[in-house]
Amino acid sequence: MPTPNLQSPISNLPLFRLAWRRLRRRPLQYILLIVGVAIGVAMMVSIDLANGSAQRAFQLSTDAIAGKTTHRIVGGPTGFDEEIYRRLETGDWRLDQSPVSSLQSPLAAPIVEDYLTVPELNERVMRLVGIDPFAEPPFRDYFAAQNSGEGNGIEGLVAFLTVPNSVILAQDVADEAGLALGDTITLNHSGQRTPAQIVGLLQPTDDVSRRALSGIVFTDIASAQEILGMTGKLSRIDLIVNDEATLAALTAVLPPGLRLETAAARSNAIRQMTAAFELNLSALSLLALVVGMFLIYNTVTFSVVQRRPLFGILRCLGVTSGQLFALILAETAVLGLVGSVLGLGLGILLGRGIVGLITQTINDFYFVVNVRGVDVPPFTLVKGLLVGLAAALFAALLPAWEAMRTAPNASLKRSNLESRTRQLLPWLALAWAVLTAVGVFLLWVRGNLIITFGGLFAVLIGAALLTPPLTVLLVRAVTPITQALLGVLGRMAPRDIVRSLSRTSVAVAALMTAVSVVVGVSIMIGSFRTTVVQWLNQTLQADVYVSTPTLTANRTFGTLPPEVIAEFRAWPGVDRVVTARHVQVDAPDLGRPVEIIAVDGDVSNGNRPYAWVNGDQATLWPRLLAGEGVIISEALVLKENLPTPPPDVVLQTAVGPRALPVLAVFYDYASDQGTIMIGQDLYRELWQDQAIESMGIFLQPGAEVDQVVREMTAAVNGRQDVLIQSNQALRAGSLEIFDRTFAITAALRLLAIVVAFIGVLSALMSLQLERARELGVLRATGMTVRQLWGLTFLETGLMGGIAGLLAVPVGYVLAWILIYVINVRSFGWTLQMQLEPAYFLQGVIVAIIAALLAAIYPSLRLGGMVVATAVREE
Amino acid sequence: MSMVRIEQLSKYFSEGSQQRQVLDAVNACVDEGEFVALLGRSGSGKSTLLNLISGIEKPDSGDVTIHDVTITRLRERERTLFRRDNIGFVFQFFNLIPTLTVLENVTLPQELAGKKATAVSPHALHLLDQVGLADRRDTFPDKLSGGEQQRVAIARALAHNPLLVLADEPTGNLDEETGQRVLQLLIDLTRGAGKTLLMATHSPEIVPFADRVIEVHNGRLEEKELDGLFAG
Repeated sequence: MPTPNLQSPISNLPLFRLAWRRLRRRPLQYILLIVGVAIGVAMMVSIDLANGSAQRAFQLSTDAIAGKTTHRIVGGPTGFDEEIYRRLETGDWRLDQSPVSSLQSPLAAPIVEDYLTVPELNERVMRLVGIDPFAEPPFRDYFAAQNSGEGNGIEGLVAFLTVPNSVILAQDVADEAGLALGDTITLNHSGQRTPAQIVGLLQPTDDVSRRALSGIVFTDIASAQEILGMTGKLSRIDLIVNDEATLAALTAVLPPGLRLETAAARSNAIRQMTAAFELNLSALSLLALVVGMFLIYNTVTFSVVQRRPLFGILRCLGVTSGQLFALILAETAVLGLVGSVLGLGLGILLGRGIVGLITQTINDFYFVVNVRGVDVPPFTLVKGLLVGLAAALFAALLPAWEAMRTAPNASLKRSNLESRTRQLLPWLALAWAVLTAVGVFLLWVRGNLIITFGGLFAVLIGAALLTPPLTVLLVRAVTPITQALLGVLGRMAPRDIVRSLSRTSVAVAALMTAVSVVVGVSIMIGSFRTTVVQWLNQTLQADVYVSTPTLTANRTFGTLPPEVIAEFRAWPGVDRVVTARHVQVDAPDLGRPVEIIAVDGDVSNGNRPYAWVNGDQATLWPRLLAGEGVIISEALVLKENLPTPPPDVVLQTAVGPRALPVLAVFYDYASDQGTIMIGQDLYRELWQDQAIESMGIFLQPGAEVDQVVREMTAAVNGRQDVLIQSNQALRAGSLEIFDRTFAITAALRLLAIVVAFIGVLSALMSLQLERARELGVLRATGMTVRQLWGLTFLETGLMGGIAGLLAVPVGYVLAWILIYVINVRSFGWTLQMQLEPAYFLQGVIVAIIAALLAAIYPSLRLGGMVVATAVREE
Repeated sequence: MSMVRIEQLSKYFSEGSQQRQVLDAVNACVDEGEFVALLGRSGSGKSTLLNLISGIEKPDSGDVTIHDVTITRLRERERTLFRRDNIGFVFQFFNLIPTLTVLENVTLPQELAGKKATAVSPHALHLLDQVGLADRRDTFPDKLSGGEQQRVAIARALAHNPLLVLADEPTGNLDEETGQRVLQLLIDLTRGAGKTLLMATHSPEIVPFADRVIEVHNGRLEEKELDGLFAG
């Protein structure tokens, strides 16, 4: 007696065998899916790896310096008196307490440090760290026996302590440069070159320490003070303190201008700087995955539609709908996994390629970091794998659902699917409206940058959903024209697009998405560049700029010697000189350091643009130079969400925290962390720092700028390394940095196009396979190969044209969001949108060319079609 | 004992805003081991009736009971599993799986039920031998003629020892001579195995082979006298 048995065994094995055979018969289709996933995953992983490597390199060097330090005493930009350390060491600090406590002095180690370059190490930027070897052991173990290499015995230690300007560096670093114990290297700080002898080579036992030490040169504290021009001063004092009482007592007795902070505080603050930059790159890298998902959707849908009769038979034979759903998802999972694994490999290679670009930008804009190789943390790989897999499965959900709904009698023909797709069109329009509304809301909410990017993606995906209805409308509009121009082919091609809408519209949407990103990002970069050029023109008004040699592209370290400043002030033909000092100081209210520029005049000669001015702009600079307040950059206002007018800015000065009124907000594109300009007299009073770092020299009318630059360079040659540039050279250098910064963005948007191209190719291949019989009939009834080519190219040209056309408004919207929302919130820069027809035209052309290129291979295959076979095929 | 019992079975199809009644509260019984021919013109509802009997489609009202199991009251999944285990199908267009060999096509229903290919192959080979295609066991369907493909389909329909074999225009896509041979084979094998066979066809040539003939006409089932048919 038969009864339906719910526990009846079910085997999916025969289904997987079917899937495997199909894969072997139609590999290209699946290869395209794998490539789509691989490129998407590769982009994400490469950005992740490059970002992570830069972060890790920074963390390693920070940890290397920090060792077991728990807290630090830090001061202003020029350091603080070493007497503080003496009082700590002797316990005298307790005398400042009332009543005098019996607390023990904490373990303390003095540090003097700064960045400099070493010509013998290929001009690498190294961190010179001056230490007291006797205070070191509790803090850092690099000098412990197990890490000691050549020369680090007692003999080496004696040399380190007694020979002036003796240094210790990592064995790897020395080997790389062909240096040995006893060799002399040159330490170039602020253009002053100091020879130093290598008296020790460290051989860290583990890789982490080796890499951490790769950017560090150790010297004794006295030598460091001399080399860095900090005689009698310390950069900081490292402490190991574990009890709150000592911390409180120490905090209470610290002189004004000094602070006690945790060891992690500063490195965290510095690392936070790059968060927005890295998130922007990650978001861009995710884009390729989104475009890749269209491709996956397309390929999987095609494989379902094509197998619909097969599924119908299988359903008749007793395969459940759940089994078909599982089959499609399992197939996609396997292919997605293969694609993801390939993507991981590709991502590691790409990551190695782009880590240099990312590190360069971090060095240019944020902090000095030496990246010696790309880390491949398992977490990134697992994440890449899972995201790739999830994206593939998500994209396959709808087609899998379609497969599940296959009726057992196989009566559902393709035409049914297409008519269902057409029924979906109003719903797609509604989905667009809903997603756009959600996107606008997310963009409107001022909060987490991730939410903002969520808004951007919602708008973009919404636009992709609107593509099918718009494609139908556009095709209908264009049909009379193509028909009039090309006759029957012009009639057939548009109809084919609408007839196969479930496929063609997805390809158009994928291409539209990628091209709109190209348009949007191009407008953003173009607008940014134009804004920066304008800003440079307005801000850089001096004829000649003098600074200490730059360690990285746009940052100077060290100070100009007073005699050079005096010499140039008195130079023949010089009208007037504006000097500046750039330092990082702590802003306690903001919880992070900010850059301040102490100036004695306006290098823009009154041309600097302002977002807001308190009072009369004509008197702004006299008020600033008189010390009535400071002017702050727009980036600081936006980054810190300050109101207008902004409140007083509190800065940690050498005489304690000071609140300074804000006189104006100026536009500035040099830093996304925010900059504060302060009058030189007030700066000197508050920080007791007389140093000058750069000069802007205005020449008298008629003076030959290039000649002055040449003569000045010749005058200091051999005495002092000084960077002397004409106004023009400085601007060109700034734009070079700009272009370098966006090189990676350009590369990423190109990759998105590649994925979209594969999407169109995949769609065309699918359609061609599907229509083999129909095209065979056309050939049999007299269509020439040339006409068949014409039909295919017309169809794809139309698809590309529609994608390009739709990408114009979507690209504009993306550009608007990037410029007015993302950029402002990420970096605090307001850009002037520059709309050039070239950006849009370029988008449309890219779309059409990508589509036409994708048509070549399918056309070639069609040309070689055996008509008799095609006609026989069911 | 009746193998198939059809009670008050109705089925409508929507055509735009209109509804077309294909079956209108029909009743019928098919006994175990019987061969019943469903006769009718194209579009008369023969295939729909087979689909309702096999549980492929759901009726708008009425019941189909197969061997005491009212399949119209089962859930979709249960109907699918019942079909897999108890019904053999022979289609007009053969519907073999192009990526499976002849033998694999025959063993497919049992493999789907979790049986090992090695375990079910001997029986499948025996059936292939009976349909005269044992030597083509490793051939793919696209290398077979229409008649050969339909013979494989018959072997597949019988491979899992079903209670009921449903054949929908099994000779509709074959020339007359081949059709006759295939038909004879189908009848011989089902009768030989004691199976119940329901065959939808529009060709009266099949009538002499059937035990009973039911005509599907204007949504109704009408039992035809075999003698009368021959006379007609």
